[in-house]
Amino acid sequence: MGTLKKPFNTRAALAVTGILAGALCTRAAIPAKPPDTAPAVARGGMSHWSLSPLVKPAVPVVGPASNPIDAFIRARLVEKQLAPSPEADPRTLLRRLSYDLTGLPPTPEEMDAFARASLEPDRAREAYAAQVDRLLASPRQGEHWARHWLDVANYADTHGNDHDYARPNAWPYRDYVIRSFNDDKPYARFVQEQIAGDALFPDDPQATVALGFLAAGPWDHTLMVTVREDTVDHRSAQNLDRDGMVSATMGTFQSLTVHCARCHNHKFDPITQREYYGLQAVFAGVDRANRPFDTDAGTHAKRRRLLAEQRALEQGDGPTLARLESPEARQKVAAWESAWSRREELWSPFDIISIVSTGGTSLTRQPDGSWFANGKRPDRDTYVITAHRRAGRLGAVRLEVLPDERLPQHGPGRWDNGNFHLSEFRAFAARPGAGENATPLVFARAAADYDEGPAISAAQAIDGKNDTQWGVHPRYGEPHEAVFEVKDPVVFPEDTTFTVILEFQDGVPGHGIGRFRLSAGDTTPDLAVVKPLSPDLSTLLRVPGAQRTSAQCRELALAVLKAENQHALADLPAPQSVYAVTRDFPPDGDNFKPSPQPRPIHLLVRGELAKPGELIGPGTLGCLPGMPRELEIADPSDESARRAALALWLTDGRNVLTWRSIVNRVWHHHFGRGLCDTPNDFGKMGGTPSHPELLDWLAVWFRDEAHGSLKALHRLIVTSETWKQTTLARQGAATDSDNRLLWRQNRPRLSGEQVRDTILALSGQLDPTMGGPPVVQFISHGDATFMSGGNPAFLDYEHFDPDAPAARRRAIYRFLFRTVPDPFMDSLDCPDAGVPTPVRGVSTTAVQAFAMLNDAFLIRQCGHLAARLAAPDVAPETQADLAFRHILLRDARPDERVRFAAYIKVHGLANACQLLLNGNEFLYLD
Amino acid sequence: MSAHTFNRRDFLGTLGTGLGGIAMASLMQREAFAAVPPPHLPKARRVIQLFMTGGASQCDLFDYKPQLIARHGQKFDPGAGVRVEATVSVPGALMKSPFEWAQHGQCGRWVSSALPHLARHVDDMAFLMAMQSLSNVHGPASYLQTSGFQLPGFPCAGAWVSYALGSLAENVPAFVALPDVRGLPYNGRSAFTSGFLPANHQGTVINASAAQPMTHLQPPAGATHITPASRAEGLALLRDMNAAHAAERPDDSRLTARIESYELAARLQLSAPELLDLKGETDATKRLYGLDQAETSDFGKRCLLARRMLERGVRFVQVWSGHGGGGDNWDNHADIPKELSAAARKMDQPAAALLMDLKARGLLDDTLLVWTTEFGRMPFTQGNSLGRDHNGGTFVSWFAGAGVKPGVALGKSDEWSWKAVEDVTTNHDFHATILHLLGIPHEKLTFYHNGINRRLTDVHGEVIRGLLREG
Repeated sequence: MGTLKKPFNTRAALAVTGILAGALCTRAAIPAKPPDTAPAVARGGMSHWSLSPLVKPAVPVVGPASNPIDAFIRARLVEKQLAPSPEADPRTLLRRLSYDLTGLPPTPEEMDAFARASLEPDRAREAYAAQVDRLLASPRQGEHWARHWLDVANYADTHGNDHDYARPNAWPYRDYVIRSFNDDKPYARFVQEQIAGDALFPDDPQATVALGFLAAGPWDHTLMVTVREDTVDHRSAQNLDRDGMVSATMGTFQSLTVHCARCHNHKFDPITQREYYGLQAVFAGVDRANRPFDTDAGTHAKRRRLLAEQRALEQGDGPTLARLESPEARQKVAAWESAWSRREELWSPFDIISIVSTGGTSLTRQPDGSWFANGKRPDRDTYVITAHRRAGRLGAVRLEVLPDERLPQHGPGRWDNGNFHLSEFRAFAARPGAGENATPLVFARAAADYDEGPAISAAQAIDGKNDTQWGVHPRYGEPHEAVFEVKDPVVFPEDTTFTVILEFQDGVPGHGIGRFRLSAGDTTPDLAVVKPLSPDLSTLLRVPGAQRTSAQCRELALAVLKAENQHALADLPAPQSVYAVTRDFPPDGDNFKPSPQPRPIHLLVRGELAKPGELIGPGTLGCLPGMPRELEIADPSDESARRAALALWLTDGRNVLTWRSIVNRVWHHHFGRGLCDTPNDFGKMGGTPSHPELLDWLAVWFRDEAHGSLKALHRLIVTSETWKQTTLARQGAATDSDNRLLWRQNRPRLSGEQVRDTILALSGQLDPTMGGPPVVQFISHGDATFMSGGNPAFLDYEHFDPDAPAARRRAIYRFLFRTVPDPFMDSLDCPDAGVPTPVRGVSTTAVQAFAMLNDAFLIRQCGHLAARLAAPDVAPETQADLAFRHILLRDARPDERVRFAAYIKVHGLANACQLLLNGNEFLYLD
Repeated sequence: MSAHTFNRRDFLGTLGTGLGGIAMASLMQREAFAAVPPPHLPKARRVIQLFMTGGASQCDLFDYKPQLIARHGQKFDPGAGVRVEATVSVPGALMKSPFEWAQHGQCGRWVSSALPHLARHVDDMAFLMAMQSLSNVHGPASYLQTSGFQLPGFPCAGAWVSYALGSLAENVPAFVALPDVRGLPYNGRSAFTSGFLPANHQGTVINASAAQPMTHLQPPAGATHITPASRAEGLALLRDMNAAHAAERPDDSRLTARIESYELAARLQLSAPELLDLKGETDATKRLYGLDQAETSDFGKRCLLARRMLERGVRFVQVWSGHGGGGDNWDNHADIPKELSAAARKMDQPAAALLMDLKARGLLDDTLLVWTTEFGRMPFTQGNSLGRDHNGGTFVSWFAGAGVKPGVALGKSDEWSWKAVEDVTTNHDFHATILHLLGIPHEKLTFYHNGINRRLTDVHGEVIRGLLREG
């Protein structure tokens, strides 16, 4: 029976003592009086190790250590009369290094070459350095280290909570992290971008993508969108939403648990409740939503200019007013007006031969060439129109929808309120003699005089989807029109038969068009001109030019400039979206909408919404030596200025926590445990660093000499003698069995991602494609229309095809479903993204044994691996050798060869490969 | 605290499970040796929780209100200036229950005609008539009932119990969840998560009606190269290989633990088919649980499986009635007469059967049976429908079995069954009481996470003394 020790998780042991110590946050201990009566410093803030001034300690002089890390580590070992362990053998070392930096093993060939080079003393060091360089330069490095970062950022591809809807635009942030690590972005910049990239680096579109950090954690769709805005539940959700941003920021970059000060002053650390709400105020202007960005810097710059112009036109400030009366504006108006007056000349009617409704609607021709729908009103309908027109180029098709007194609300739709839903607009052309072979006309763009909304617009009628549509609610009883621009227009001869199809198939019943007219244009029209006018402007245009007042002239000029601006914006390539924080997004229903100004933040007595205290402005913590508690914000009404100020405060060279926090985090991943073993908690409840001087030396070195280069930090650590030590326990077991002093290296178990990626690399199936939307590795059953917001149901990971292309990507690119994680990865302790995971658990369970034995993906890949290694007729001994060489990266010992050969002979190589993958030698890194 | 210093191992020992159970527990739970000082002897050794997904309507099942019947159809007016907050709708008129009310048992509990089977057992139950939830919304309210917090990431009660006590036998997990055949509850698998506790404490999900009820229990059907012989010989080879590897690394107990984990897996694999196979149950038992009727067969089968699991040493079983999707659960927004009767019919007979069966087998003496939901429903209609919107203001849960005082009802809601007004209890009190009956002081069961020693009961919770049987 094993009393399982956990060399990598001493917090659990502390938890046990926690039980004895009693609960810390007890009801009795909550102060009844209002908080913030005790200033931080008075409560002893500065004396705590993490808040003491950051001074670079002198490197101890201990023997021949050339790497300062070794000097600090050995100085402590000498004190305790311990000796460092010898360097691990080359095969162990390269396997460890490769997993540590890239999450993948070396190939057998790389291993052999390195082992050979290491035999020659004068080449060994150089060979090792070359491997470090190779692995740090590999794009696999960013993929692997991004996973560590995303654990802390709490990233996933769904919102979490009860309905757990998908977040289809989360992934650009994941790719941003990978790219940042591969590009070795200086850490200060990396921090700044994730808090306020939009404000601090407006010219770099990727800096906006970085804001995905603040939105990466769970978000309650039901509370924020469905539940009424005026309820306690909704307001509480907003409060917790900001709390999430504050905790993520301060936990990740400061290693502080400021969220403990939401209901009262922090019980252990010098953080007041007032300061906590000051931090909430920093994020009071943003919500989590999709945020557009341009991948191309040129487009990004152009869009910024046009959006600035748009704002100026909307606001009508001084320069804009002057511009409206400029000769340039007058010229534009004149050109536009002349094009407008010739507008009708662009269009010629189709000569309609037949018109059929599949739903049984009667369509009758009207004197003006339009068609009127009456009779049966089917749930779904499609009008199929066959027509001719004169010979000529076909540049555009126009659909006019017209009011009629016989229609509900005078139309133009057939539904009770006068609306219609045109789900698709399609057209085909059959040249004379083509018979039935009609060619589809491809439409490049669509524009209408009025769209119900950005998601219910003419563009939705040509998107190939039947569940999206064009509608005109609530503008009934007036004519509207949509123009569909043909892509790459050509000339059609006179007898060409055109078929135009209007579909009302989105499932919303009875939403056919009540009266319409179709016409065609030869030229590709300028949509800015073609796009029909608003009624106000139509009235204005009927006033002859000379009789217009100067106000009317200005109004017209404004409309023309706005149209030009809109057209230019529409002409830009569609932006991508990232799920991030933003103050500008289309409202989702009545309850979730942006706040034009930062929301007012009150200190909440005991954290209760019903007890709002004083109004708190943006601010930060006062417990950092030499750092102001106040944030310098020129214009607090500009929410992004608040975030920018916090970003600069966080990355200030004097901020002792920022630098200590990151070097400790990196150390944690290289040694399986941080110098301080609570990477998200440097407070009094957190761990005490085992080597405080080393931590400070690294922090200062990283800030001042490495200039925030994470690759330089990795290199410094993995080239130290300390890191290269063997894991085998020797003399220290008695005095320091927990290895806090690092007299040997720790022995990590491979993570779920490392196991999965390795299996693919071994089987030859790994698809190295980087980035892009997440790959879905499950089947969804029942009514789980999970991508468009259905209900949760069983997600089936077990029966997903292990050979599907999606199964072959690296694990970092998996679709991470917060509430229904992949059971295989789950059994290997991949976090479920419910809370940030600065330190992963490492469990040993029967469930894990089951997964390694019976998982369909693993079993199938073992088949591929076996087929790749050897044909079945190869001698079993050779097969055994190959399996050891590839999976364990060493030769089989004679006894192993005999036993495995015997096993292979009866049960085949695939079974043998799976055994080796189940072995501790594979799963643990010496 | 008692003068005796108990550690968890002694504590388990007092439960008579012997060392085998501890060995297993230590493997199933890495952090096995949490020292839980028992201030009192546990009354309950195991728990079954029946969870009504969606918010079961207290005022249509247990909370009889003559005023609601008298004022049926009138506008709801709780008094000047009192705000009526519905979650997703506009409050309609007061609506009496469409079901008939009658008093039952010696204790005279009111139960509506929607639950004819359970009504016969009120003398075995102890009711919490004034439960209250901080949230009116499924996600957070369900989390409050499962983990004690409104947010994701916190361990569920079953995981805490697994962490504190482990299971009672060496070949079963400590915490099992039996989701509805139609799908997972709100919050998906997070409803059975171990949160920041070690992964081995999460609920083992058993899909009772699936061809493969447990994930990874068997190799996939298509893997024909895996045979009983390839497995048996392979596992022997693996054990030797791992043993040789561990022998060179004697300091690392994780390596031997992994060897043991394969042995435990083998035992689980052997015991699971028997556990899930209902062949050994008599026809009378199957009929009792409603396995012979389409409506009751799914919940009935899972209740019966729950009993079998308890018999084999599982510590905490959750049986879910309804899934998290719209309809087919207790979230009856549109039509109480139709939707609620359907949900009730599926649950009523099997739940009553479970209670009777546990009692008949003597298991109820040391098993706690808990019936719960995430919140109640409004006494008025949702708009003009016959449905009711969410109501965190008051709802009903009941306990039965080990250590529970039978036939009592604690707390009261107001005259409409709108808000709890007397002896109000919360999820924290509810969890504190469950832990208490298991012999665990709820303030003492903690785990450090991100700056705080976390508890199932957060910083709240009082054991509901009125619910406990004396002695």
